[in-house]
Amino acid sequence: MSEKIGIYVCECGPNIASKVDIEKIMDEIAKLEDFKDQELVVKRHKLLCSNEGKEFLEKEINENKLTHLVCAACSPRDHDTTFINVCKKTQLNPYLYRIVNIREHCAWIIPDKEEANRKAIQYIHAGMNRVLYQDSLYEKELDSNPDVLIIGGGIAGIEAALNLAGEKRKVFLIEKEENLGGKAVFLPEQKISDIQKNKNIKVFTKTVLDKLIGFMGNFEIVLKSTEKPDETTELLAGAVVVATGYEFFDSKKLPAFKFEDKDNVIDSLEAERMFSENKKITLKNGKEPKSVTLIHCVGRKEVGFCSKICCDYMLKIANYLKEQSANIKVTHLIKYLNLPYKNSQNFYDKIKEKGVEFIRYSDLSVNGTKVEYTDINNKKDMLESDLVILAPAMIASKDSEELAEMLNIDLHETGYFQEVHQKINPVSSTTDGIFIIGSARGPANIIDAMQQAKAATGKIFTQLIPGEKIIPEVMVSEILEAYCTGCQTCLQVCGYDAIYFDDERGISVVNEAVCRGCGNCVGSCPSGSLRTKHFTNPQLYQEVKEAIR
Amino acid sequence: MDNPENVLIIGSGIAGMEASLMLSKAGKKVYLVENLPIIGGKIIKNEESFPIMDCSTCLVAPIQQEILQDANIEVLTLSAVEKVAGKPGDFKVTVRKKARYVSLEACLGCGMCYPVCPVVLKNEWEENLMDKKAVYVPCSGSLPNVPMIDASQCLHLNGKDKSCNKCMEACMFAAIDFSQKDEEFKLDVSGIIVATGFELFNVQELENLGYGKYPGVYTAFEFERLFASNGPTEGKLFLRDSEKTPDSVAIIHCVGRDEVGYCSNICCMSSSKHARFIKHNLHDAKIYNIYSDICLTDKSYQKFFDETKSHDSEFIFQFDRKKMNISKKDGKLEVSYFNGKETKESILVDMVVLANALRPSDTIEELSKALEIKRDSFGFIETEPSKLGSVETSRPGIFVAGCAEGPKDIQGSVIQSEAAVAGILSMLDQ
Ligand SMILES: Cc1cc2nc3c(=O)[nH]c(=O)nc-3n(C[C@H](O)[C@H](O)[C@H](O)COP(=O)(O)OP(=O)(O)OC[C@H]3O[C@@H](n4cnc5c(N)ncnc54)[C@H](O)[C@@H]3O)c2cc1C
Ligand SMILES: Cc1cc2nc3c(=O)[nH]c(=O)nc-3n(C[C@H](O)[C@H](O)[C@H](O)COP(=O)(O)OP(=O)(O)OC[C@H]3O[C@@H](n4cnc5c(N)ncnc54)[C@H](O)[C@@H]3O)c2cc1C
Ligand code: SF4
Ligand code: SF4
Ligand code: SF4
Ligand code: SF4
Ligand code: SF4
Repeated sequence: MSEKIGIYVCECGPNIASKVDIEKIMDEIAKLEDFKDQELVVKRHKLLCSNEGKEFLEKEINENKLTHLVCAACSPRDHDTTFINVCKKTQLNPYLYRIVNIREHCAWIIPDKEEANRKAIQYIHAGMNRVLYQDSLYEKELDSNPDVLIIGGGIAGIEAALNLAGEKRKVFLIEKEENLGGKAVFLPEQKISDIQKNKNIKVFTKTVLDKLIGFMGNFEIVLKSTEKPDETTELLAGAVVVATGYEFFDSKKLPAFKFEDKDNVIDSLEAERMFSENKKITLKNGKEPKSVTLIHCVGRKEVGFCSKICCDYMLKIANYLKEQSANIKVTHLIKYLNLPYKNSQNFYDKIKEKGVEFIRYSDLSVNGTKVEYTDINNKKDMLESDLVILAPAMIASKDSEELAEMLNIDLHETGYFQEVHQKINPVSSTTDGIFIIGSARGPANIIDAMQQAKAATGKIFTQLIPGEKIIPEVMVSEILEAYCTGCQTCLQVCGYDAIYFDDERGISVVNEAVCRGCGNCVGSCPSGSLRTKHFTNPQLYQEVKEAIR
Repeated sequence: MDNPENVLIIGSGIAGMEASLMLSKAGKKVYLVENLPIIGGKIIKNEESFPIMDCSTCLVAPIQQEILQDANIEVLTLSAVEKVAGKPGDFKVTVRKKARYVSLEACLGCGMCYPVCPVVLKNEWEENLMDKKAVYVPCSGSLPNVPMIDASQCLHLNGKDKSCNKCMEACMFAAIDFSQKDEEFKLDVSGIIVATGFELFNVQELENLGYGKYPGVYTAFEFERLFASNGPTEGKLFLRDSEKTPDSVAIIHCVGRDEVGYCSNICCMSSSKHARFIKHNLHDAKIYNIYSDICLTDKSYQKFFDETKSHDSEFIFQFDRKKMNISKKDGKLEVSYFNGKETKESILVDMVVLANALRPSDTIEELSKALEIKRDSFGFIETEPSKLGSVETSRPGIFVAGCAEGPKDIQGSVIQSEAAVAGILSMLDQ
């Protein structure tokens, strides 16, 4: 079949038309020596992106039976998709079209009209060169599994399970301990019984992840029991939610913190549990304390971040003590007070009215229940009390590293899981289909953890719709079997784990459903057997050779 | 259920935009109602976002573009929700849309109409730091990139000079349309998300800080606009109405915190960001951050704060926020504060930036009445207390996301917006 290229120059109102000589450009393009063998249709339009412009283009493609299309218009950021969508309405494969930006690259930046004309012609010529070397590409549909695996049965995991499970979506919830609930002390009992009653949720306790392969919509999963490691369960899911929670930084590791188990030095969680069980916080001998020192920010400097929620719960513990007995002398040793939740300030004011003291320290050392400190004005002092309660920094669960490896997701420098985009995609991990929520993602209180669980639910609801197929990226990489030496260099550079090694054939193979077409691997291949569809060397060469001539 | 496919989103900040795109992907028809002539909310005022210091435009412009090009999303700018009747799954919403007097379809955003307009006004979107015309876009890079005409100021429309047709004559696309009228129409939707964001505390309430009296005193948003490359000074740090740069700057944290009654959650970070920006542009400037507490809400924020503290600014503790005073001394601004119960100190600077508290948006009272939803004691939209951890309001079927619920950073707003989408989709599934 002989080629017939359509070249459409957009005037963009006066934007392009008044800055270059469109007639001249069209003349020169129509006369190009190296396109003598192709049939060219060269036309102009006042606004190709308008409805009228799009209809015009559609008609032109159909009536002229174009085999290739070049639109000389604006930035692909503005209207590449517009023209791709026009192609999709016609017989022309959208990958046989190219946009050339003669507005931002020529009209808007080159004051000299002659020069702007010259560059526009050169760029359109480059686009025509490229388009002839482009290939048709076709979108493939893949079945997807809507079910979800949730790792971690704390409040975050529980909330995610309850929100996600439904008639058309099963949830597998795994917890490594014996019971669900995690570390939250006041967990609504109702939630756990709701989980147990829900027939679309299958709970595996004393269970951890053993292996996971695949990609969003199609993960193959192996679970193993923590008691009998050979006991494994295999299942399939389309998405994974990681909710493995936090741990306390070990305050005994700090040289300035000298205390033993027998001392009346406890951490906040112990205090919290004591109060929830006995409605009282007591000393090791069962007596009530007359004075209590609450130390904030324990290990904050060492871990390198503020744990966000401890100031808030330390105020709550101070309130427990004051409710237990108004005579208990309660002193907080604080660095800064971090009160990010909107009701905390009121609570703080209330606590202060009850006579709770706040001292700002720059440094301190603990010797049993004796605390020596330097305040922010460099004054040294000492506090001896019956009981010391510590707020240790909250760090990521110790399993995070191993899990990150298994799931192929990144960790943040703090050890918590890393978002794919901290600002605008905050509960998605760096791998599609895997989500990170609750205090596994960073310090979080119960409300934060629950809202993040719902956020991951929203993401999964919109990305994995039961019964709908998923369409993977088509501009992916491929390995030309004949040239691949099996050196596996590409496996090292692929950030998405999209390449695997085929032992039988002795070559590397790209999993097209996982590949994002980033092109990293292409540059790494010593035998030149990798190429990214729509960005092949001949295509780029044809374009560049003209553009830089 | 009449219209399981329609959802109304009020407010087009990052929270409203994220929810719109997600719901559209799930096959819903979205009506996105925005008061202003443009979409994007407050982040488009910022040049860079902490802590990664990405260019904010690069962060949101693709999202704005995607919204405008999405056939499932109908953007209703210059619009307000007047009334909501009905029940979850079947709400009847009355929307009032003000005339733009410029055709969204015909206008190309070429900008030929503004220079010819004889009416010069202050541009509030630019915090009154620059002028605009009666036909204008709020800022360069506005999306949709289509101007509007301020009907009360335009000579043709307010009748002061019916013969003025200057913008119309300048427009080569016949996009100016004086015949447009305000419209009222009804929408049938099954769920609603309120994402109306925040405003800043009015610092004029605090006379001791000298805002309005001393030109060297700025609000946080004024500073963001000075910092912006598309702003009034194109990103140059000139003192008000001059081309002089400051040698010393004091950034005051927690301004209005006692008056509003809560910590605003983001201003320690935005104030650190401002210190960095000054240092990067004016290497020799002396910068002070006067704080009373430090609020860091993300795992990555401490590092940003520590770096700012060691490289860019001197952090000074202030003991009693109420006792701060700003006055004029030797041609400079004297900031005096207490760093202990009785110990008063002061510094002399050329410029003061007030990190004003975040408060609910101006329209929230009216809107919450129209929607019949409850607000908390601060005026933010309240989430239903009996539904712990949910973002549903007191009226079933209506959800809230972002700073409309309380002050928070971008990711906090996005998380709530994704949670609201889950709420809507769960509801529609039943
Ligand atoms: C002293 C104290 C007081 C607090 N008070 C309050 C309060 O009053 N209000 C409030 O809102 N918040 C409070 N919090 C915070 C609250 O406890 C947390 O927000 C909450 O526990 C976080 O839940 P999560 O599900 O993210 O993590 P977690 O509760 O830590 O749950 C994680 C779960 O994952 C499991 N897990 C870990 N690794 C694996 C693995 N590899 N495989 C399978 N399962 C795994 C764990 O066993 C655990 O069950 C307080 C915290 C402390 C320390
Ligand atoms: C000085 C400053 C600097 C900041 N810098 C950063 C930063 O660097 N990084 C960061 O993470 N966060 C930053 N923030 C916080 C960030 O601005 C907010 O997190 C974010 O803007 C919240 O988005 P939103 O969608 O909730 O609200 P908004 O951005 O306020 O959007 C709300 C939208 O709703 C519209 N609206 C209001 N009322 C109505 C109504 N009745 N009907 C229709 N529409 C209505 C408004 O016009 C607006 O477009 C900063 C804040 C300030 C004050
Ligand atoms: S929340 Fe409070 S106690 Fe916890 S690390 Fe931050 S400042 Fe310290
Ligand atoms: S193109 Fe990128 S994602 Fe695809 S296989 Fe190569 S390196 Fe991996
Ligand atoms: S009619 Fe005249 S006054 Fe009104 S916007 Fe146009 S140019 Fe300005
Ligand atoms: S109204 Fe006309 S002159 Fe003004 S920006 Fe739009 S197209 Fe240009
Ligand atoms: S975030 Fe910082 S500046 Fe803002 S109110 Fe809270 S403590 Fe003050």
